[in-house]
Amino acid sequence: MLNVYLFQVLNGLGLGMIYFLISVGLTLIFGLLNFVNFAHGAFFLLGSYLCYTLVTLTGNFWLALIAGPLVIAMLAWALERSLIQRIYHLPHTFQILVTLGIALIIQELSIMIWGPVGKSVPTPELLQGVVRFGNFAYPIYRLFLIAFSAGVAILLWLLLERTRFGALVRAGSESTEMVSLLGSNIFRLFSITFALGVGLAGLAGVLSAPLRGAHPFIGPEVLGLAFVVVVIGGMGSFSGALVAGLLVGVVQSLMTTLWPQGASLMIYAAMAVVILLRPYGLFGRA
Amino acid sequence: MDTKTAAVASSAKRNGAAPLARPGRARWAPGTTLAMFGVVILLPVVLPSATLATEILIFAMAALACNLLLGYTGLLSFGQAIFFGAGAYCSALGMLHWQLGLFSALLLALSVGAVLALLVGLLCIRRKGIYFVMLTLALTQMAYFLAYTLSDWTGGDNGLLGVPRPPIALGGTTFVSLASPLAFYGLVAVLFAVIYIMARRITSSPFGSTLLAIRENEARAAALGYDIRLFKIMVFVLSGAITALAGALYAMLLNFAPLSNIELLMSEQILIMTIIGGTGSLFGSLLGAGSIVLLGDILSAIWPRWMLLLGVALIAVVIFMRGGLWGGLTSLLQRARRAASHDKEA
Amino acid sequence: MSVRTHTATFAITLLAGSLLATPLMAQDKPAIDFYGVKSVSGAFASYGKYAEMGSQLAVEEMQETLGREINYTTLDTEGNAGRAIRKVQEAINQEDARLFNGATLSSTALAIGKEVNKAGGVFMTPAGADELTGSECNASTFRWSVPTYGAIRETLVPLIEKLPDAKRWYTITPEYVFGEALLQNAKKVFEEYGLEHVGNSYHSLQEQEFSGYLTNAMSTSPDVLVLLNFGAQSSNALRQARNFGLNEQMDIVMVWSAGLDQLQELGADNVEGIYFGAQYWHEVDTPMNRHLVEKVKAAYDITPNYPLAADYIMTRTMLEAVDATGASEGPELIAALEGLTYQGPTGEETIRAADHQVIKDYYLLLGKGQAEMDDADDFADIISSGHSFVEEDKSVCQL
Repeated sequence: MLNVYLFQVLNGLGLGMIYFLISVGLTLIFGLLNFVNFAHGAFFLLGSYLCYTLVTLTGNFWLALIAGPLVIAMLAWALERSLIQRIYHLPHTFQILVTLGIALIIQELSIMIWGPVGKSVPTPELLQGVVRFGNFAYPIYRLFLIAFSAGVAILLWLLLERTRFGALVRAGSESTEMVSLLGSNIFRLFSITFALGVGLAGLAGVLSAPLRGAHPFIGPEVLGLAFVVVVIGGMGSFSGALVAGLLVGVVQSLMTTLWPQGASLMIYAAMAVVILLRPYGLFGRA
Repeated sequence: MDTKTAAVASSAKRNGAAPLARPGRARWAPGTTLAMFGVVILLPVVLPSATLATEILIFAMAALACNLLLGYTGLLSFGQAIFFGAGAYCSALGMLHWQLGLFSALLLALSVGAVLALLVGLLCIRRKGIYFVMLTLALTQMAYFLAYTLSDWTGGDNGLLGVPRPPIALGGTTFVSLASPLAFYGLVAVLFAVIYIMARRITSSPFGSTLLAIRENEARAAALGYDIRLFKIMVFVLSGAITALAGALYAMLLNFAPLSNIELLMSEQILIMTIIGGTGSLFGSLLGAGSIVLLGDILSAIWPRWMLLLGVALIAVVIFMRGGLWGGLTSLLQRARRAASHDKEA
Repeated sequence: MSVRTHTATFAITLLAGSLLATPLMAQDKPAIDFYGVKSVSGAFASYGKYAEMGSQLAVEEMQETLGREINYTTLDTEGNAGRAIRKVQEAINQEDARLFNGATLSSTALAIGKEVNKAGGVFMTPAGADELTGSECNASTFRWSVPTYGAIRETLVPLIEKLPDAKRWYTITPEYVFGEALLQNAKKVFEEYGLEHVGNSYHSLQEQEFSGYLTNAMSTSPDVLVLLNFGAQSSNALRQARNFGLNEQMDIVMVWSAGLDQLQELGADNVEGIYFGAQYWHEVDTPMNRHLVEKVKAAYDITPNYPLAADYIMTRTMLEAVDATGASEGPELIAALEGLTYQGPTGEETIRAADHQVIKDYYLLLGKGQAEMDDADDFADIISSGHSFVEEDKSVCQL
């Protein structure tokens, strides 16, 4: 029986990397733009559906992996230019309302385009099969997801810490004027950051499609999970999202053996406790 | 690496849940109370059924309670479903298991709503802005889980069936049976009017002005010596009690208390009604609840994807019409009045 | 046929009513008012869309066959139990509605059953809750779908016979009344056949991530994995089970599949080699089903699925009974339906008088690969069919 727990922890770590990928875009946008995006789950959903369409049309998952997030990032860019830019200066309440509206529109449009019944996406051929450990097996696709998410994490870190873009964005989040004085267009920086964060939600959606398919009502559940991870990690904290993602993954995986009915209760209770005791999360700063 | 949480604008202004719209000015108050009476009387006449009118008033009640939090105090809460659901379950269980009469069941809902709101409020007001919102969201999810797990009491996913609708009775003598839709509408209408007038009084009292002061600028209100926590908790209790009453009436209307009463989606629905109707306007809540229930009723059969319009409406309210339907209506009226006085001068 | 919305065309109904009342028409049989409760908008639209098609088709056809005007009204649940009940009440009070069919969600169906019973009408539903013809049964409520008892027996028993070496069985169950009912029935079958029930994982109703539960299952090395969840949850559980290569280690059976629409959603790759229990399958060879497949093909250019077939046959059966008895409500119609045997899509179907449960077949399907499919919807072969029901005298229903 000990084996089960060990394996649940391993599975939880894998799950945690997926949760990190689901939430990192949300925390980026909050951290850099101080913007609350309640449409995050809807963009995830759109990612899954785009993956379905692209794989169905071309039979090529890798194309979907590149094109899907790009299309969504472009959509986000346009949305930011036309709508989101107008509400950065408004309180979070307004941002929640507008993005809730966007989420509803995306959900209903998805049903109009893809129908109310869900869709499945096959695992790419290269990544089919499992790795066996005694009784247990672990899908190669999930191993790929872990590696891929780790790669995304490293790239994002490099982008934010080691490039001029990252420096500007970080500076811009502290003082708009400073960046303007440096001669950079602050609004363009914001547009790019928003597109990046939403594109990451789309990426998570594309990558999840072979695991869960695409379903029109998945948005709110994904959003809830992303918020749990982001809040526990500290809103706006990049490393927080990583650690909290892993933590939630492991706890959820262990709970399926210990007290399965309580799994979702536990994660929301954890979120409430963190807000009450340590409002800026495990890694956030006041 | 931690990217700093920093605001583009001043964070004090941004993180506070500032108002959507300023409440209707005082001079409108007597007018809107009259208009409310007009609507309440006309609803069952104009609409195809009293049942539909009853649903509108019940949700108007819930939206009004939500408005006290959001419109008058600036608290955006996803927790209203907790009180709505609890009100439905408790009154239903009281009637089913302890044979409570109509008014004792409603009183039970009111008090359960108040106590729950006190607890939820005590926890949630410790945080502000987005953290407050997230806390209410987490508590609603937990309440849903609880209701779903305690299926011996709540019926779980099947819902609580066979909820009675007791008559208006005193000491064993039945005065009015509420079996007919119109009779039940009468009861709901009277309760709604009472709550509306009470809320109107509260919001235009010094207590109400303090709430507005908190909403506009919490730090300044605190500096003026107001105990902000106390005020927030009082609003929470008031709002929770009214929402629970609405939940109890809903269970009596349907003879049924579904699990969906206590879902996050219910909170969202109540919020949308409040916002589209117009935050900071009690009459707006009536408008919001009415238009959304009716919109669903008329559009759903014509165009199954009608909920897309709700999304568009939410965005439009924030971008163009901060005051919601009520705000739009008053600015139209003002414009008409100005045009009229213009004509007179000419 | 007039399909109308609830509020908007209220006036038109009145107008039509007054036209019908002219002496010329008076010799004809009066129009039948029929109501379909369908989740057209909101969540569960995947079900409501097809259910609505089924009812409309039946109404169109019956209008012709019976030579009577049928006023069909759709009551959209908006995916919301409360809204559904309010619309049903409204129809009962305002329009004297008495004939209802539909409802996807168990909670909605149970509550509608109570309302219609109070009004002395008739309500036929395909919903899943055993309580409909069990502890919460009433004179007005009729149910087409096979209860959990029969669904379990008609999938597990033939499977046990087909897989004589399968001794260890693992179950994954959603934690609520419906899942529990399936689980208890499954346990009885395991006991009866002396099989080892090596474990069960409960999960919550919102769960979409099954890797943890599959890990639990793997740790007990079962011969058969029994999925007792349904809808999106069972789809995800199956997808992920395949992902973990469980289909190579054991046989997998999904007891309560939604039928064709779910197999379409899963696709041939996921379906191949998996066993599915189903209320209906379009390849069943019966006169009524051949008729239905043809009609649906002509009308909508699709293959009928479970929601479509269920609401078609219920609408049709009710309308025929109304026409035959001349009664459109109350005891007379109920009496006509009780004990009625008719040709349904699953063959001869009988409405049991004792609890108003329709006695019909349940199917065990085996999914086949892309290469073996004769057409785009030929996802599976029927490997067994039959009916098992709790005997009348053991039913908890007291009518």
